[in-house]
Amino acid sequence: MLTGLLRTMDFDSDSQDTATLTDDRVQHWIACVQKVAEKQDNAAFRELFDHFSPMVKSFAWKVPSLDHPDTFAEELLQETMLKVWTKAASFDPKLASPSTWIFTIARNMRIDLLRKQARHVVNSVSLYQDDEDGELDLEDIWFEDENSDVFNLLAQQRSRRQIHESLKLLPAEQTEVLVKVYLEDKSHAEVAAELKLPLGTVKSRVRLALNKLKLVVDR
Amino acid sequence: MVRFHPDARFLTDYAAGSLPVSQALCVATHLHYCPGCRLRVGELTELGAELFMQQQPAAAVDGPSFEKLLTRIATRPAMGTPQAGATNDSKVSSLPRTLHKLAGANLEKVKWNKVGSKFRYASLNVGDRARETSLLDIKAGGSVPHHRHQGDEITVLLKGSFSDQEGKYVVGDFIVRTKGETHRPVASQDQDCLCLAALDAPIVMSNWLVRLGLRLLNRQKAA
Repeated sequence: MLTGLLRTMDFDSDSQDTATLTDDRVQHWIACVQKVAEKQDNAAFRELFDHFSPMVKSFAWKVPSLDHPDTFAEELLQETMLKVWTKAASFDPKLASPSTWIFTIARNMRIDLLRKQARHVVNSVSLYQDDEDGELDLEDIWFEDENSDVFNLLAQQRSRRQIHESLKLLPAEQTEVLVKVYLEDKSHAEVAAELKLPLGTVKSRVRLALNKLKLVVDR
Repeated sequence: MVRFHPDARFLTDYAAGSLPVSQALCVATHLHYCPGCRLRVGELTELGAELFMQQQPAAAVDGPSFEKLLTRIATRPAMGTPQAGATNDSKVSSLPRTLHKLAGANLEKVKWNKVGSKFRYASLNVGDRARETSLLDIKAGGSVPHHRHQGDEITVLLKGSFSDQEGKYVVGDFIVRTKGETHRPVASQDQDCLCLAALDAPIVMSNWLVRLGLRLLNRQKAA
């Protein structure tokens, strides 16, 4: 199972990722977003679309037990890229790289679509009608301009390179847990249940991984 | 100075987007008060972005998908000016922005349920049916009755201070009590205390606050 999982991670083909991380590439994607914002530039939008949409689709397909994975993936792609277009003007390259920005949009849209789906299922089996959305805007909880004040692009780029290098060195069992948490939409508790491990073991695997990635650990 | 923080588990699940929404509301509210945790979430979001970009990409997405997108962009309703009142920045608010839509910038949307003279609560509808999400308001010197947790409970202190047997808490503190732990938070003598709480509850809608309230009333009657 681990091999299958690791195959979904593209560790070996460095070409694209390293390219994504070089300043030139980052500047290129920043320029694309800015052209979309300022000139509604279709060609620049197409470039963003071609580069990022395969990632968005993969991200959608990783959600377990979807009834219609292809429909879900297309919907997530549409909603995410539509938001890239409509929010391009509020993208601030001093605060986030384009890939981080698009990841947060895709993450939030995925949460949103899954919430809508869950509500739909509940409504169709439940005796009482409940179409309540919650009086809540997800963007008030999962900010898209997050950490703006303290985590600038420079710091991001530095930790991004660090993460990029160190991810390759993680033991498989730690990568597995990170992939489940980040890509498969599973909380620590759900990962523990799936792998039949105590919650404490999952927590410590994540913690060890964060340590190795030189990311913050508990004070 | 905030002293109690979400651990790596909560921050990672939050950055990944897999944390249940009521708990995510608690983490986001804590972030409002805590630059240190904002920095950590920033890094954990970078980890997410890196894992996202390292996925095996799906096959190139075909033309029709892009054409459809352009059609949607062309036909979407014109963007109006931002809604008046969408931001409460101009207004002095006593609450973090995570709670503005749910409770009003100054609690004006909250419907309180009074339980006894020193304790009231209000349920917040975040659309998370596995948990109770509430605001708790304890008047100076008042307390939440002694209770044992049936599930995990997260509390974020929004105003005032309170203490339990573990110590004293200040605004911004993120406090986790796990199943089976008992505690009895007491508000300070000189200030009211306002908290956000998310409690794991069985899907059966047994309202723990009502139970708490009944216990409090019984206690008062007995006294």
